[in-house]
Amino acid sequence: MFRGFLIEILRSAIESIKANKLRSLLTTLGIVIGVMTVIGVISVISGFKQYMATSFSQLGANVLYVSKYPWGFGMSREEFKKIQKRDNIGLREAEALEKYGASFKYVSPSIVRNMKVERGDKEVEEVSIEGVSEDFSRIINQDVSLGRFLSKDDIKYKRHVCVLGQDVLESLFPEESPIGKKVKIQGRQFNVIGILEERGEMMGQSMDNTALIPYTTMTAFTGKRSSINIAVFAEEGKETEEEIRWILRGVRDLKPDEEDDFSINSSEALISQFNQMTSTFLMISIAIAAISLVVGGIGIMNIMLVSVSERTREIGVRKAIGAKSSEILGQFLMESVVICLVGGFLGIFLGASLTKLISIMSGNIPFHIPIWSIFLGFGFCCGIGVFFGFYPARKASKLSPVEALRYE
Amino acid sequence: MSELIKMKDVTKVYPLGETEVQALRGVDIVINKGEFISIIGPSGSGKSTLMHIIGCLDVATAGSYFLQGKDVNKMNENQLADIRKEFIGFVFQDFYLLPDVPAWYNVSLPMIYNRVAPRERKEKAIRILENVGLGDRVNHLPNQLSGGERQRVAIARALANEPEIIIADEPTGNLDSVRGEEILKILSDLYAKGKTIIIVSHETYVAQRGKRKIYLKDGRVEGKG
Repeated sequence: MFRGFLIEILRSAIESIKANKLRSLLTTLGIVIGVMTVIGVISVISGFKQYMATSFSQLGANVLYVSKYPWGFGMSREEFKKIQKRDNIGLREAEALEKYGASFKYVSPSIVRNMKVERGDKEVEEVSIEGVSEDFSRIINQDVSLGRFLSKDDIKYKRHVCVLGQDVLESLFPEESPIGKKVKIQGRQFNVIGILEERGEMMGQSMDNTALIPYTTMTAFTGKRSSINIAVFAEEGKETEEEIRWILRGVRDLKPDEEDDFSINSSEALISQFNQMTSTFLMISIAIAAISLVVGGIGIMNIMLVSVSERTREIGVRKAIGAKSSEILGQFLMESVVICLVGGFLGIFLGASLTKLISIMSGNIPFHIPIWSIFLGFGFCCGIGVFFGFYPARKASKLSPVEALRYE
Repeated sequence: MSELIKMKDVTKVYPLGETEVQALRGVDIVINKGEFISIIGPSGSGKSTLMHIIGCLDVATAGSYFLQGKDVNKMNENQLADIRKEFIGFVFQDFYLLPDVPAWYNVSLPMIYNRVAPRERKEKAIRILENVGLGDRVNHLPNQLSGGERQRVAIARALANEPEIIIADEPTGNLDSVRGEEILKILSDLYAKGKTIIIVSHETYVAQRGKRKIYLKDGRVEGKG
């Protein structure tokens, strides 16, 4: 029959909350805000993390990018200035990597500029034109769906040939086969030799709005002095990175006491940097949420104390008809837990709605609320209900029946 | 008749600021099962204190109190609660009903603590309300009932766990004489059915209903009639 008693005190808790709707609602506000913050932040971060992970997998998990600038977030002004002064990365480095690399097979320069691509009266602005080598297809693990990829000879003879991405294909060749046709890139004629498989998007940007051309041809646009990226397919993560480092230090004549003046980037490192940043962010928001939960808890304690003193007579009656102290304690604890759970429910609901709203406003970032965060939210609410409700409930349970009945 | 209540030399002292108040100064009482007792006395005579001690709401400072042969002074708080739950039904001057719940729920309240199943609780509560003439008022809230009706709900509540003893503290104090008479009639009927009834009152017409009267004055039993 203990279950019956639990149901009864639950019922009495709900009755008492219903009798003081506004008061209960205001009391839960701190809890609502706290839970809402936690749920909101957790779902935004976990959604963003997932999004990042799937996005960067497009880059290829095993691909290392040698660049002048490091990828990532939060560089200071001084750091940036220092990095700006580095010597540019050039084809010399790419050739050295190709020549001396032992643990890796595929190396390709990657020189990227946004340019206009035209065909007759059709044109696409801002296409990402990427100058690469014949190895690039293997590095990004992406084949052609039609025609062929760039060849060694295309590179060697600086041919004006290109492999188009799906987006460019759809815009310029909506109906006919593009192979063998000519397009103009930044005013120069190029032969279309192939179509790249669909690559999807990264960080909300289509990776298919692209055209690949020989890097040797690309330097005609960019000149030989600007800094380039070098993509390397690493078969065994860390060793490759170390090897690249030593080759580059050699090529760039760095003395043993000098720092590296280049950066070896990877999507993995970027993701881990992102995770590190979000976990700091998560910590801060959890701290904020914890503060509002504690404030909320104090509010609960306050209102429960009011409730106990308002219902002193009721407590007296209940004791007179046989309620034990533990049963009075249980009743008031239940009430404070129920108030907290109502707050938790509202908080989860509002947090989820807020997340949905941000998701809609931010375009297509698919936020999701992990199930564990909901349990965490409810668990926290229960904990707060018990912790902050205990003192008032104990006060109620310790009342002497005679004094409680006499209370006016 | 068997002895239900046996008090010997019971005293009760309340601390009041720096001093003390002696509410009871050595009370000897024996009440048998099935008696109808009136405890009478002016205000301040200690009759409320005596009622609280008889009803196990409070414990004596000194002296002995046996209820059905059990030593109440040796009981802890939970045991006292059990005694109140099983042996004693209280009726108060101000009814003390829970305002937000209907009559039947008020009546079922003691059964909650006695772990009676919900359905049975409601059925029994309605049955008892019918017995006190409130069969058509079971779903009314206390503020929808007249004073006399409220007191009948309170009596029904006192009967919920079928206690041996009904203790009524000025049960007619807030009622006019007609309603008061109705309440006293119900209590007399319960006495006729074998319950032990203890009425505490300072009004003589109420006290007259008792088959035996205990007069209290200044914390002592002055006379018995």
